[in-house]
Amino acid sequence: MPSTQVPPIAGTAIDPPSLRPPIDDAAIERIAPGALRARLQQLKDDGYAMLLDLGAVDYLQRKPRFDVVYHLLKLPPKKAGVAEVGSPPRLRVLCGVEENEHLPTVMDLWKSADWAEREVYDLFGIVFDGHSDLRRIQMPHDWEGHPLRKDYPMRGPARERAPRPSFANKSNVIAGTPPSGRTFEALQEEVKRARES
Amino acid sequence: MVLSMGPQHPSTHGVLQIVLEIESENVVKADPEIGYLHTGIEKTAEGLFWTQAQTVVERMDYLAPSSNALCYALAVEKLLGITDRIPQRARDIRVLHMELTRIASHCVWLGTHGIDLGAISVFFYCFDLRENILDLQESAGGARMHPNYVRVGGLNGDLPDGQMAQLDALIEKFPGRMRELRGLLQANPIFQDRTIDVGVLTPEEAVAWSVTGPSLRASGIAYDVRKAAPYSGYEGYEFDVPTREEGDAYARFLVRLDEMEQSMRIVEQARKRLNEPGPVMIDDPKVALPPKETIALSMEALIHHFKLISEGFRVPPGDVYQSIESPRGELGYYIVSNGENRPYRLRTRPPSMYNLQALKGIAPGNLIADLVVMIGSLDPVFGEVDR
Repeated sequence: MPSTQVPPIAGTAIDPPSLRPPIDDAAIERIAPGALRARLQQLKDDGYAMLLDLGAVDYLQRKPRFDVVYHLLKLPPKKAGVAEVGSPPRLRVLCGVEENEHLPTVMDLWKSADWAEREVYDLFGIVFDGHSDLRRIQMPHDWEGHPLRKDYPMRGPARERAPRPSFANKSNVIAGTPPSGRTFEALQEEVKRARES
Repeated sequence: MVLSMGPQHPSTHGVLQIVLEIESENVVKADPEIGYLHTGIEKTAEGLFWTQAQTVVERMDYLAPSSNALCYALAVEKLLGITDRIPQRARDIRVLHMELTRIASHCVWLGTHGIDLGAISVFFYCFDLRENILDLQESAGGARMHPNYVRVGGLNGDLPDGQMAQLDALIEKFPGRMRELRGLLQANPIFQDRTIDVGVLTPEEAVAWSVTGPSLRASGIAYDVRKAAPYSGYEGYEFDVPTREEGDAYARFLVRLDEMEQSMRIVEQARKRLNEPGPVMIDDPKVALPPKETIALSMEALIHHFKLISEGFRVPPGDVYQSIESPRGELGYYIVSNGENRPYRLRTRPPSMYNLQALKGIAPGNLIADLVVMIGSLDPVFGEVDR
C-alpha cells in the first residue's frame, strides 16, 4: 500500500445511484455477487450479446465498498446479410463487492471481459475468480497499490523518494505469464544472454 | 519462437507492444501489451472541477478530441438535467464539429494505414485535407489539436467570422479529394492483395469482443449510436450507415471511406442550418459564465463569474452512462456524481481498447506482415486505449 496516506477526496459514504431515479435510457439491475454469474448467463441467453463495458466505482465508506458495473447491449441474432439493429436496449448491472471479496469472471461469456476485468483488478484490486490471465494491464507489473481506489493518493506513493518504475519492467516478455511452451526462467536466461552479447 | 513487436515499432500507431509466438512467419499467438501511455486521466479527473475535467478527457482520443468533449458534456448535462435547454444553434455546431473531427480522424487513419502498406503519397493527400479541418477547429476553439470548443451547457463561443467561407471551400474541395483518395487505393492491386481476406472478423467474433464502430459495421452489423440512441439532434439529419459483410481489412477500409462521405453529407446539412444567428450557450448563470461585458455592469454577473471560476458548479448526485459514436466506435462515459463540484468517478468506455483486444482473436494464423494491416484497420488510438 502507498506509504503516504492522504485523506480521500470527497469520500462521503453516500451511494449516488440509490439517490436518484435513473436518468439515462438503460434499465438498471442490482445483483448480489452470489447470484451474479447465473443472472449474467441468463441475460446473455436472453439476447444481451454484447458486453459494452465493465468498470468499477469505489464508494470507500459504503458497505459494500465497491460497485462493479456491467453495461450490456441486446443485439438481435445475426442472420444472413446485414443485420439492422434499430435501437437495441441497454442494461446496467451493478454488483456490490466488499474489499476482499472475489467475483466470478465472465470472460467465458463475453471474450471482451478479459482486458476489462484485468483493468478493474489493476486499478481497484478486485479479484475475478476463474480469469485465465489476471495480471496488471495499465500499471507496471511491480506497482504497489491500486490507483483508482479512493484511499490512494492523487500523486501516487511518495514519488520523489521511490525510484520511478522502469519501462523494462512493464514488458511481459520478462515478467508476465510466459507464452506457451516456454518457462519463465528460460525466457529470462534468453533475454539476459541477448543483452550480454 | 517468441518475438516482441514494439513498443517502438512504427506500425503500431503509438506505443503498443505485441508479444508474438511464431512458427516461421506465421503467428500462433498474439498478446498485445498495453499501458505504456497510461496517464491516469480518470484519476486526474476526480480531482478537477467539472469544467476542468473536460480539458483532460479531450486528451484521450487525441485524433478526435471533440468527440470526447461532446460525450463528456452530454453526460454532465444529463446529470444537471439541462439536456433539453441546450440552444439549437449549439447542437448544430456540435454536430458540425463532430463530423468534421470524424473526417479528420479518418484522414489520419487512412494516411498511416497507407504508409504501413507502402503507399506513402496517400498520407500527404490525407493530411492536407485534415489540415483544412484543423484550421476550422483552430479558428473556432483556439487550438488545432485540443480545441476544447464543446463545453458543458453549449460551446465556448460562436463560430468566428469567415468560418462559413472556409467551410464552404472545404465542402467544395471534399468530393474531388475523396475521388483522389479512392483512386489511389481502392482499385490498387497491391493494396487489395494486402487487405482482402486479411484479419477477418466474423459478426459473432466482433460482438463477442465488443467491437464497435466501423470495424463492427464492416462485419455486417449496422450498429451506429447516432441511429441507435441519437444525441445532440442527430435524429434530424439524413445519413446512411455504411456496412459491409466481408469483415476483412478491405471491408473496414471501404466502410470508413463511405463514412467520410456520409459525414460530409451531415456537414452540408448542418451548414444550411447555421445561417440564422442565435445563442450557443445555455442561459443559466449556475452553469454558464456570464457574458464578459455584463461583469463590469452587474453585481450578480460578477458574483456568478467569481463562483464559477473559483469553485465551479455542483452537479446533483446520481450516475449516468452516455455514449456517442466516436470515429472509433461507441465512446461512453459512466459518470458518478456525489453532489460535489468534482466528478466522483469518471469511467470511460474506450472503443479503441475493446477493438484492439479483438487482435487476439484475429491474429493467430496470419503472417507477421499482415499483423501491421490488422492493427491499422482496427484504428486504435493509444491515448484512449491506455488513458
